[in-house]
Amino acid sequence: MRIVVLVKPVPDPASAGERLDADARLDRASVPAVVNGNDEFALEAALKLIATAGEGEITLLSMAPTSAPETLRKGLAMGAHRGVHVTDPALVGSCAVSTATVLAAALRKLEYDMVFAGIEASDGIGGIVPAAVAAHLGLPFMSYAAAIEPDMAARTVQVRRISPTGYDLLEAPMPALIAGTQALGEPRYPSLKGIMAARNKEIVTWSLADIGLDAGSVGTAVATTTVLDIRMPPARAATEIVRGTPAEGAGRIVDFLVERRII
Amino acid sequence: MFETFAEVPAYPLVFPIFWGAFALLVVVIARRLRVFTAVRSGTQASDAQVGRRAWGVFRYTVLQTKMFRWSRAGAVHYVMFLGSTILLIGNINIVTGGLVQAVLSWPLEGVLWVLAVAVQNVIAVGVLFSLVYLFKRRLIDRPVRLTLGRPGLLVLVMISLVVSTEFFAQAFEVATYGDIEGAIVANALAVPLQSLGEAITHDAFVILWWSHVVVLAVFLLYIPTNKHFHVYTVFVNVWFRKLAPRGELPSMDLEDETATFGLKTLQDLGWKDLLDGFTCTECGRCQEACPAFNTGKPLNPKAMIMGIRVMSESAERTTDIIPNSPIVRDTYGLDDTRVSAAALGQPIVDSAISYDAVWDCVTCGACVEACPVLIEHVDKIVGLRRNLVLEESRFPAEMSSAFRSMENQGNPWGQPASSRLDWTKPLAFEVPTVASIAAEGRLDELEVLYWVGCAAAFDTRNQKVARAVATCLHAAGVRFAVLGQEESCTGDPARRMGNDYVFQMLAMGNVETLDRYGMGERTIVTACPHCFNTIGNEYGQLGGNYKIVHHSTFLAGLVSSGRLATLPEEAGSTTGDHRPGSVTVHDSCYLARYNNVIAAPRDVLGAAGVSITEMEKSGKNTFCCGAGGGHMWMEETRGTRINEARTQQVLATGAETVATSCPFCMVMMSDGLAAADGGSTVNAMDISEVLAARIAAVPAERQLPVL
Repeated sequence: MRIVVLVKPVPDPASAGERLDADARLDRASVPAVVNGNDEFALEAALKLIATAGEGEITLLSMAPTSAPETLRKGLAMGAHRGVHVTDPALVGSCAVSTATVLAAALRKLEYDMVFAGIEASDGIGGIVPAAVAAHLGLPFMSYAAAIEPDMAARTVQVRRISPTGYDLLEAPMPALIAGTQALGEPRYPSLKGIMAARNKEIVTWSLADIGLDAGSVGTAVATTTVLDIRMPPARAATEIVRGTPAEGAGRIVDFLVERRII
Repeated sequence: MFETFAEVPAYPLVFPIFWGAFALLVVVIARRLRVFTAVRSGTQASDAQVGRRAWGVFRYTVLQTKMFRWSRAGAVHYVMFLGSTILLIGNINIVTGGLVQAVLSWPLEGVLWVLAVAVQNVIAVGVLFSLVYLFKRRLIDRPVRLTLGRPGLLVLVMISLVVSTEFFAQAFEVATYGDIEGAIVANALAVPLQSLGEAITHDAFVILWWSHVVVLAVFLLYIPTNKHFHVYTVFVNVWFRKLAPRGELPSMDLEDETATFGLKTLQDLGWKDLLDGFTCTECGRCQEACPAFNTGKPLNPKAMIMGIRVMSESAERTTDIIPNSPIVRDTYGLDDTRVSAAALGQPIVDSAISYDAVWDCVTCGACVEACPVLIEHVDKIVGLRRNLVLEESRFPAEMSSAFRSMENQGNPWGQPASSRLDWTKPLAFEVPTVASIAAEGRLDELEVLYWVGCAAAFDTRNQKVARAVATCLHAAGVRFAVLGQEESCTGDPARRMGNDYVFQMLAMGNVETLDRYGMGERTIVTACPHCFNTIGNEYGQLGGNYKIVHHSTFLAGLVSSGRLATLPEEAGSTTGDHRPGSVTVHDSCYLARYNNVIAAPRDVLGAAGVSITEMEKSGKNTFCCGAGGGHMWMEETRGTRINEARTQQVLATGAETVATSCPFCMVMMSDGLAAADGGSTVNAMDISEVLAARIAAVPAERQLPVL
């Protein structure tokens, strides 16, 4: 079972220090980078599938600046086998469309039964890259996966997709691209053995030339979106903690909701 | 031959009976302890601190200072200890054909031996009375902390038999053959016995005398099989005790790829850990002191130590007579296929201690403090956590976010480093950073570095404490600065949650920062006992040696040296804050118990003119607030809440304020008081806040330039 997991290094959402620079691009030096949360859920699902199957290989694929391997190591420490890092100076300022083009081109060079991705990245929150990559490659695309069940003998994969009313049960032939959510399960915390093993795992670096793309087809010049303005959200009001007996607490909460005409 | 025992028929039979048993005892102990050869050589350093070790043995085994904290049990135990030691004189005499008597009778015309006989007579009576108390305890009182069972009772029965047979044999001997010089009690007792007639007293003497020898031999062999083994092992256990600061966890080499990280099986323990198991007297003082056990959680430190003993015993049954150590294997070319790998390789978690219990520990060290035979529980529990975290990634889910926050943001709250100085904003004066002072080339003028700690930087309640500390320092004209954004978590929570990887990462970063500013030559002051313990006791493992003092000590020093003047008693407070009124002190485990800082917080409160009502559990015997060992970031799902138990102890004093000296204690006490029935009117205040409210205006001429 060969699974490619698309991963994106994002500024740590917990740090709350995310900043854009003068060009309205992310100031990567200001905050530590982590693996995008949704991608970690997808990676966790891949790791569990391989553990159950007893065989398989997980490749992390990322299009990111030169500092990315540091972040990819965290995914390798969780148990992925190798990393592919696509980076090129021409990629600066790429929009989601360029990203999908690049990832699709890289996937053409890889062998896989399934591609997993997080449903969206916590920095841009665009949520279109997985679908766009599937469209480029003509792969079946199943999103909002809460459970993934491959059948290697039949070369099909079943996905439980979260719907507004419950679950849809989808099935597609392999290879397929599946975008997952936190419903896939809490990602594991890497063990020290995993961290040490990750130091010696391979991360190959590909340039645009390596994946057969022209520098002019991606990057700032052809970006389809532009950031016009950014603003911090207004600070939230202080938390109110209600103490007392359950009855008193319930009374206070009801008053609170009534005051705001919520109930 | 053997004139001394001329009255004893067939006396020479003593030699095969006793010395045969003794030889068997050596074999039994050797068999029992050979499992030591199958485990690690141990973590205890081969230091040459002979003096300290010898003093410890004298203090803890001869004076038994730890036992006297429980006065009645301690006194009775001491009588038993004296009894078994002193009665040894007579018993050695019996099994050596009168050698002791011959030696002691030689100088001073035999006075020494007469004295020895008299002392033995008196102590034997003492032991017999103590036995009554001990039987009553095991059969009627049955205190919760004791492990009640057959072995304990059997030991009492055997001691009763050994002592009473010897004592009454002597009484009947006197009745038959006339007074023995020095045997004051036996001589008196013999008077009524004489009425029985010489034939009966003679037979009684012979039967009792021989019974004594036989029971003695049996008891000798019984000892190593149960808790009474401590009478042999305690001396070794105390000698090899941990001499490093109590708050210093064993160092870890994370680069050794072949090593097992932390403790998984018996083989990962050191032999001293197994000796802890064999030395445990099942007295349960650890259990009685444990805050987790006392709030109904699965953790019982005694059960863990006894569990390690049970595991050692079952592993020992599979160990070959020839020690199966690597050295022996290499030297003699033996293979180890006959050893049951199953017994030695069984995980400790879920055999000696349950998985839940491993995580219940708040590492408060109350068990270690309470243990009369110096067993080390906390280091083992953290060792088990290390294995679960570093090798198996098995730990309560909520710890993940604390780990990630420490790794990525440098603090367990996951706050951005950029907000580390937010606490200073309401202050009327500026708190400089070390970086800014260094940039101005004025590092030499710096008197102390105030290590703020994450809790005081990010937690709203503790930010007030940081301001109080800074106010005191400022008022005393102390030239201080903080690291600001360059400070990160010391790693204490990560280390105590078993994640030494994150601990070392954070610690190395801090050591680098501190060394860059030459803080090795300066004083660091902190209001956090956890930072205090880790920087002071543990950073040495990573090459960082600093002089760090807790703010209680530093502030007490400022007051006693006259640098910080406080208002007279009757004056109102300078800040208009709530007057503390009567105060009780909640000691922090890592300050009082681990680092013996007990007087300083009280001195600070004394300087502020408040009266202190002590809680029953204070000083070294303090009761944890419930936040130690990483529990600040863990859910407390089992049993009742530890901070609520402590809050009840606070309320029982009737004090209006509970004074803390630790940011975690502050959070736990505030929460506990707020959750107390109907919300309590009692306040939690840091000692620095109490002091800051009582600062007198500083005369202008004494005011030193504030950086």
